[in-house]
Amino acid sequence: MMSRNSMYTNPKPCKHLADYKLRHGLSGYNLLQEQIRTTPSGKSSVKNHQTEIPRCCFCNGYQKRLYLCLICSSISCSSHTLLHSQCENGHDIAVDIERSELYCVLCCDQVYDPDFDKIVMLKHLMDLPRSGNGVDVSAGRRSSKRRRLCSALELDLKKTKQLVSMRDLRAKSCYPLGLRGLNNLGSTCFMNSVLQALLHAPPFRNYFLTGQRNHEVCRKRSSDRLCLLCDIYVFFSAVFSGDRTPYSPAQLLYSWWQHSANLASYEQQDAHEFFISVLDGIHENGVKARSPIKDTGECHCVAHRVFSGQLRSDVTCMSCGYTSTTYDPFMDISLNLDTGNCPSTDLANKSLKPSDNTYVSTLLGCLDLFTKPEKLGSDQKFFCENCQERQDSVKQMSIKRLPLVLCLHIKRFEHFPVRRMSRKIDRYMQFPFCLDMNPYLSSSVVRNRFGNRMFAFEGDELDTSTEFEIFAVVTHSGTLDSGHYVTYLHLKDQWYKCDDAWITAVEEEVVRASQCYMLFYAQKMLYYKANEDLVCQPVSPRADPFLPIAGCC
Amino acid sequence: MSLPNDDNMSAHSQLSSHFFEDLLDSIIVDVASECHRVARLGLDRNFEEEEEELRLSAQARARVADSSNNGETNSKYVVDIFGQTHPAVANEIFECMNCGRSIVAGRFAPHLEKCMGKGRKARLKVTRSATAAQNRYTRGSPGSSYSSYSNSTGMNRLSNGASSGVAGEEYSNGSFEEL
Repeated sequence: MMSRNSMYTNPKPCKHLADYKLRHGLSGYNLLQEQIRTTPSGKSSVKNHQTEIPRCCFCNGYQKRLYLCLICSSISCSSHTLLHSQCENGHDIAVDIERSELYCVLCCDQVYDPDFDKIVMLKHLMDLPRSGNGVDVSAGRRSSKRRRLCSALELDLKKTKQLVSMRDLRAKSCYPLGLRGLNNLGSTCFMNSVLQALLHAPPFRNYFLTGQRNHEVCRKRSSDRLCLLCDIYVFFSAVFSGDRTPYSPAQLLYSWWQHSANLASYEQQDAHEFFISVLDGIHENGVKARSPIKDTGECHCVAHRVFSGQLRSDVTCMSCGYTSTTYDPFMDISLNLDTGNCPSTDLANKSLKPSDNTYVSTLLGCLDLFTKPEKLGSDQKFFCENCQERQDSVKQMSIKRLPLVLCLHIKRFEHFPVRRMSRKIDRYMQFPFCLDMNPYLSSSVVRNRFGNRMFAFEGDELDTSTEFEIFAVVTHSGTLDSGHYVTYLHLKDQWYKCDDAWITAVEEEVVRASQCYMLFYAQKMLYYKANEDLVCQPVSPRADPFLPIAGCC
Repeated sequence: MSLPNDDNMSAHSQLSSHFFEDLLDSIIVDVASECHRVARLGLDRNFEEEEEELRLSAQARARVADSSNNGETNSKYVVDIFGQTHPAVANEIFECMNCGRSIVAGRFAPHLEKCMGKGRKARLKVTRSATAAQNRYTRGSPGSSYSSYSNSTGMNRLSNGASSGVAGEEYSNGSFEEL
């Protein structure tokens, strides 16, 4: 199935536009180009007289939409464009001067032509400061995404299948492999919940199951020192062994506390913090074993290969349009909840009646909020290189490169600095099972900023998929200071609830209705391949788990 | 929005409301033009799929709310999918890898904390345990770039409480809950 890509579809011109192009080619567009002005907010207009306002040549009106004829440059208002076309044969194509959009008088509709868009864009880019226009038109490096995806798949099928077939035949019933409860070692459900998600992150799981990490010859272990990677390897082997009695990840806890001394305590912990900390530990343990990658400078430890992506941040000066762009890597994205309220309202003043707010927060809403242009406050004036002074500016985030596995963290806390108090936000947030990240990519966001003109923006990567499937949901119930974590796993079309040692099967609707805290999505292709590897069918809970099922295992 | 009655308005406010209407019209047309372009160029989002997901979630919430009202959802587990039951406190016994003592799984974390000399209570004590000293790592320098854009104060955490029946001790960060 073709995934939607970020490129536009070239619309077919109407008969009248086609005729115009045949007769006049680009001459009309080129003459117009000089008069196009674009504001820093991205709106392009045609301004031919700096001193006079444009008026309709029939009624002298200046209100309503005004159109400039591409052939004779006469201006008509929307009521009189048809009249002009009747008076002058063939004058059917005009330009909306306020928006620089083509208009076909006979079709009574806005029409589109890539050649026109290109001319508008070129003028826009010419007018912007030399560098810092937010558009990378330099020939980009070939995307390394395809290579990454291929190497991820290598970690994959054949070896896993072999390993799976050799598994312990003690596997009770035919539930998917790798489904095993984790004992709570004393307020460690924060750890158990994240571990369940990691156990089933496709390329991550494959890496540890196919022995890519050869722990026999691990240097650290041989000198009796602790190695987090080895412990994770042992952990994976144990969970996928087929033994279904709950496993105690004690060695892992010990190993992790060695790495994160500041988090090592028996007290309330946060699952997201643990997740970041564990990935950090894997990175630091793995980084010495690998030589630095020459071309891209990307890290090839398993944590980065699986979870890391790249964010783009653009800060645009509102006076001159100069844009400063920076790129930062990420292992997960933390999202603020979209509440349907204006973000600038003071929290303390908001009415706290729950009945007032019937707006349902959604993941897409949170992502929209994340990529929305945000006016920086007057205390955060940006020093514009072009203007050489501090100016009001607008900041916008977008995703430059998606990871293989996307972890989304929902910030369910509110801080009240004045009252020195924090509170958990229990608000429900809807999340989809299939997620298309296309609208949040830099290519889409930047194109949108330039009015969605048909133009070859760099970074339009056709070979990357933006479709994701959910495979794990970490939920939290309770308050900021005390509560409980539970993970739902989606394996082979069945949802399982992982509550420490208890693994139960649940209906999809339970998951949809749950209060999510961390969402784990895998690239669609990886998710489906991973599910093929888990060679089992679900069995009715009423069946005796000790009786062998014909034809299985 | 009803138009103001012309007779009652001064010429001044008539003029300003005309300007306002012009501006408003212009903005509305801006949005219409942008949406038209997005639709024609095939850049619009897949609204059908999005609506379907929203519908499924709304349906799910309604059903789950119903079943909890009917008392169908049982909070207590009887057996897991493998037919096993588990006690409230995990009772597997194994050796502590730090001191060698046999510990019950459900009490392992609090034990390990004291054993390793970590944690708030242990830090208050003046312990000079050899193992604690040699195993202490410092977190890496900010060379590892993790969520560098996000606010990483210690306040942003959802903690899990003592589910194993041990009386909840400290509250983290000195924050308190508001009902």
